[in-house]
Amino acid sequence: MELIKVLRPEAGEQEVTVDVSVIVPITERPEDLVELYHEYSPPLIESKRTFEFVFAAEPWCGPLVEPLRELAAQGQPIRVLQVGQTMGEAALLRLAAAHCHAPVIVTLPAYRRVQASALGDLIQSLADGEDDVVTARRWPRRDSWLNRLQGRAFHLVLGGLTSTRLHDVACGVRAMRREVLLNLPLYGDFFRFLPLLAAREGYSVTELPVPQHERDKSTRVYGPGVYLRRVIDLLGLFFLLRFTEKPLRFFGLIGSILATVGGGVLAVLLYQRLNGQGIADRPLLLLGVLLVVLGIQAVALGLVGEIIVHLHASGRRSYQLHRD
Amino acid sequence: MTQTEPHLSVVVPLYNEAASVTPLVEAITAAVEGFTSWELILVDDGSSDDTVALAQAHAAKDGRVRVIRLARNYGQTPAMQAGFDHAQGKVVVSMDGDLQNDPRDIPLLVAKLEEGYDLVAGYRKNRQDKLVTRKIPSWFANRLIQRITRVEIRDNGCSLKAYRRDLLRRVNLYSDMHRFIPAVAAATAGARIAEVPVRHHARQYGTSKYGLSRILKVLGDLLTIKMIRSFRERPLAMMAAGALVAMVFAVASGVAAVVAAQGFTPEKANAVVFPGAAMLWLGLVGYLLMLGLLAEVALWEHRKGEGEQLPLVHEEQI
Repeated sequence: MELIKVLRPEAGEQEVTVDVSVIVPITERPEDLVELYHEYSPPLIESKRTFEFVFAAEPWCGPLVEPLRELAAQGQPIRVLQVGQTMGEAALLRLAAAHCHAPVIVTLPAYRRVQASALGDLIQSLADGEDDVVTARRWPRRDSWLNRLQGRAFHLVLGGLTSTRLHDVACGVRAMRREVLLNLPLYGDFFRFLPLLAAREGYSVTELPVPQHERDKSTRVYGPGVYLRRVIDLLGLFFLLRFTEKPLRFFGLIGSILATVGGGVLAVLLYQRLNGQGIADRPLLLLGVLLVVLGIQAVALGLVGEIIVHLHASGRRSYQLHRD
Repeated sequence: MTQTEPHLSVVVPLYNEAASVTPLVEAITAAVEGFTSWELILVDDGSSDDTVALAQAHAAKDGRVRVIRLARNYGQTPAMQAGFDHAQGKVVVSMDGDLQNDPRDIPLLVAKLEEGYDLVAGYRKNRQDKLVTRKIPSWFANRLIQRITRVEIRDNGCSLKAYRRDLLRRVNLYSDMHRFIPAVAAATAGARIAEVPVRHHARQYGTSKYGLSRILKVLGDLLTIKMIRSFRERPLAMMAAGALVAMVFAVASGVAAVVAAQGFTPEKANAVVFPGAAMLWLGLVGYLLMLGLLAEVALWEHRKGEGEQLPLVHEEQI
């Protein structure tokens, strides 16, 4: 234990900087946090780096983090950041990043997904390589076929939408330079796609295969609402990655397809009308008008999007300089 | 490094132009000899070849050459913006890195700028490009851009341009806007624009990074610029104009519905089509008006907050 530079929560944490901050946002299904700490801290001690564990807790986790406070009082390098409101994982991550001063940040879910040795490997890989983000890939997988099938399907869609080559975006265990977490506009459910958002901002992202944890092998089946949310997340991500600066390209494409089809329908009807056929009782007229109206609506929406982008263009830069 | 603020900054975005770098730097250096102080900013847009190494070698030899490296390949507009952001000269000249522009034209552009313009665009006389895939689409695009933006520029695709730095500080480039700098500058910053003919050479090294696919993108961008031009002051009015057209259709459908109802018989009981169409058009009227109001909110918030820059003005001739 002499190797660790001990951090006490009350001992003016701003002055003491460590090499690595491990951020644990406590959200869904947390496991015993003391156990978690004891399991994941040894590889950091072995790595001879100074470190701290930062637990970001929402109000309902009060009793869960109490034992952590006791550990901290005994001199373990633990900090507990308690927020006053339920905020969600993305907000907790950003908040914790703002309160950490280590150059390297590791995010760790409050449940065990990878074996403890992975942390040391991720940090080492980040230190050795040129990359800004090293994300864990649980490999080889040893869990049930149902889990793997879900993961495969998810990444198949993700790869098709974003051309990413990552295999395990959902695994929340990642090591990154602090700057990355501070600069990414994480909110809502997009923290799941942190590696993709980071790559879009110009950070280099790589994947490191790490052994899966025993606890992670249980089969997971979620309610239909969860799957629906993932699909919506993917749609939102696709839009944000490709069209944040050019909403009109997205809405304009949809709108012009709709309006063209609608215009075609109306042209056919007009031709028939001129040839003496009645159209007042043809619901096809309604379809044509509906498509044209929807098309115009989509384009108009895109235009308003462009105005918003244009108004925010000053001061915002879409490029990032190379780190050298 | 030594001089604090050079007179002239030349900005060149480079993407996989390893073969061009050395001749380019030499040609530019020779061309700007006549200026008392200058800098050359080479922006590497995430090249995967030797472009960076070569550019950095030149920078090491000559303190006036600077290299800006982007983290990945972003495209020409962000690369250009990066160069502009780092340019310190009062006058900034942009050009392509493929040697199709001739650096010997730089002094001509700068001289024209100093006659009292904010932006001087080059236009390529005797353009050395393929006719069908480059020159013809470009001719149509330029005519269209002229019509829509009402900025009289013959050759929007020519990157060789000179700007006052004060102007560039007021123009923010994003998406693929580098083609429309004159139009954006005129619309948002009140720039005074001139044109001079420049030389154009056939591509010697490397391959062209453009294709026909960009026509659609250009059309979309054009619509955006048109919009920004008329929309940034009174969006509600523009949406209301669209709503008025929709209203005409709504009324027409309504009249048709009334006419159809005159001869209403139980056999024609399904003749609810015209009233339905009238409702749809009415829905569009309401929708467009609401969007216009929303855009007004966005503008209001923008005008209230900081971040808005006033257009350039000239109290006296320079």
